[in-house]
Amino acid sequence: MNRIIFLLISLIFLTSCSAPKESTLKVSMSLSDEEWRVVKEEIIPKFEHRNHCRIETLQIEAGDLPQILKSQSMAGKMEIDVFAQDNMQLSILVEEDLVENLSGYRGMIPKETEQSLISAGEFNRKLYFLPFRPNVQIVYYNEDAFKKYALNVPRNWDELIRVAAVFKQREGVGRILFKAWGNGPTVTQLYEFIVSAGGDPFTFNDPGCLRTFDFLKKLWPYVSPDSTKAKWNTSNDYIARESVYLMQNWPFGINVIIEDYKKTNIKTYHGFAGPKGEAHVIGGDVLGIPKGSKNKALALKFIEYLQSREAQKILLEKLSWPSIRTDVYSTVSGWRAPYFRAVKEAMRYGVFRKNVTYWADFERYMNEAFTRIVIKGEPLKQVLDHYAEEMKKVANKKK
Amino acid sequence: MILSFQEKGNSALTLSNYGWLFSHFRFQESLINTISITVLALLFELVLALSIALVLAGAGRKRIIQALILIPLGIPTIVVASNMRYLFDTNGFFNQILSRLNLISVPIDWLGGGVLTLFSIVLSDMWKVTPLMMLILLAGLERIPKELVEAARIDGSSSWQELRFIILPLMKPFITMALIIRGIDTFRIFELPLALAGQAFPVLSSFAFFEFRNFNNPNTAAASSTVLFIMIFAAILLYIKLTGSGKETTV
Repeated sequence: MNRIIFLLISLIFLTSCSAPKESTLKVSMSLSDEEWRVVKEEIIPKFEHRNHCRIETLQIEAGDLPQILKSQSMAGKMEIDVFAQDNMQLSILVEEDLVENLSGYRGMIPKETEQSLISAGEFNRKLYFLPFRPNVQIVYYNEDAFKKYALNVPRNWDELIRVAAVFKQREGVGRILFKAWGNGPTVTQLYEFIVSAGGDPFTFNDPGCLRTFDFLKKLWPYVSPDSTKAKWNTSNDYIARESVYLMQNWPFGINVIIEDYKKTNIKTYHGFAGPKGEAHVIGGDVLGIPKGSKNKALALKFIEYLQSREAQKILLEKLSWPSIRTDVYSTVSGWRAPYFRAVKEAMRYGVFRKNVTYWADFERYMNEAFTRIVIKGEPLKQVLDHYAEEMKKVANKKK
Repeated sequence: MILSFQEKGNSALTLSNYGWLFSHFRFQESLINTISITVLALLFELVLALSIALVLAGAGRKRIIQALILIPLGIPTIVVASNMRYLFDTNGFFNQILSRLNLISVPIDWLGGGVLTLFSIVLSDMWKVTPLMMLILLAGLERIPKELVEAARIDGSSSWQELRFIILPLMKPFITMALIIRGIDTFRIFELPLALAGQAFPVLSSFAFFEFRNFNNPNTAAASSTVLFIMIFAAILLYIKLTGSGKETTV
């Protein structure tokens, strides 16, 4: 009996010794349920299998990540190995010295990557973040509605207001959607409009800003009443249910509108130009490694994998995420091809939002300016001058 | 509360957050909207709940009907809001019905702000929570001695007189409880207005939420939450003072 027990214990001991210990890589992202499903089912397993590791995923919102990294860093217990972060919330990570300098790994970025996407991860000439998923808004429109009234899609502001007026006159209600829900959705649109009018959004009252708000005041009576409830997810519903005929949104809408709702009459194009040209904000996420990460080598391998053609193709096809790689778009075929042509075109006019630590204040002021001037009809110059002063105070305080 | 008296990054006590709040147009809107929703919702819910309770009090198969009426209470508020959007959207059922009846030629913007949105939110809230008030009032009705009502009837009183002079006075503690419980809930209403109307119809809770979450300002968020707390507390005290602490009334 004693011999049997001894043999059993030896067997257990030998088994546990011989089995290779799997490392665990902790990855943080901020994704929707559907996005996580694709990442967990189609992206992660391949990497785990090839690298004999386990990936633990963490859902951490972009706004929460800096504080979480700071707390873990101060505690000397970093629990995150690699993160994907909104490209608008990076400067605080650099200023608080929370992320690794990845300048030495510039060579691992695929040569097919758009150069502008690499520059977006640089601060003070050092590379802290690596490209992952860029994002750019395109215009979705109801082809049948435009054909019905013999209208062409608007290519500039004048045509936009003309088309909006025609729809309002013929149907009694606005059919052009402007995302006026507030916060990020509204500010991103405003940023694009101001840049395409030649303005600097952070000044609030330069000629480009004045021109933009003046235009939006004129456009407002012709926009859809759903605009006050329109944000990134609800906009897709509005165009799919045909309460609006034209709207701007991120490419994830392609899957929702065309694949889920089966609205094949909804087409896309890159967008319309302002008085000084066309501009589309490049959003999306970049990848970084926090200081104190316990698995830096594996984290770098994971980043390399996420940037690979294989992974980028899956993300593009399953989630309609624009790719960092120019060679992936050529693989898009079938019904997706024309929609991604619009995405690729829109990226040509891409602009990055200024990465500042006072973005929250800027967002608030821009939202308030929009509500007061465009929705409530307050005097344009007076309101913009007020926020210009407020913005200067905030910018000076943060210097 | 202490946070509400401090500025960001500064531990010195100050009233500046409150000064900023009360001068901010969004806060003013949120305050008015919150009070409006509370007053209207409580009034309508009380009338409706009392009516249903009075009908149920004299009904047979009460338990089955009660169970059916309680179903909305079990539905999460965000689900209710999502469903109500199908009713109130510009392309929603209400507008479609009104259009088919030729009562409107252009869709009504129920959720774009203003009085229409106020009533849309109140109706949505009523649908979900009236059953709770009804339950409390029904419990109160069942405690009223039947002999009192019968005696009044024998003396020739009308239904209205029974309600006014017997039922309502005896129901006072239950009405008080129902109004306080619902009042607290309605003052801090959050998901319904946010999901239905977004920032077209801000309320105090959503204002505090955006201050903290989007604008990274826990101090002004704390200040608006403190204002909300004071409002609720004051409303309860005032109500109890006006109605005499809800003690049972002798008839």
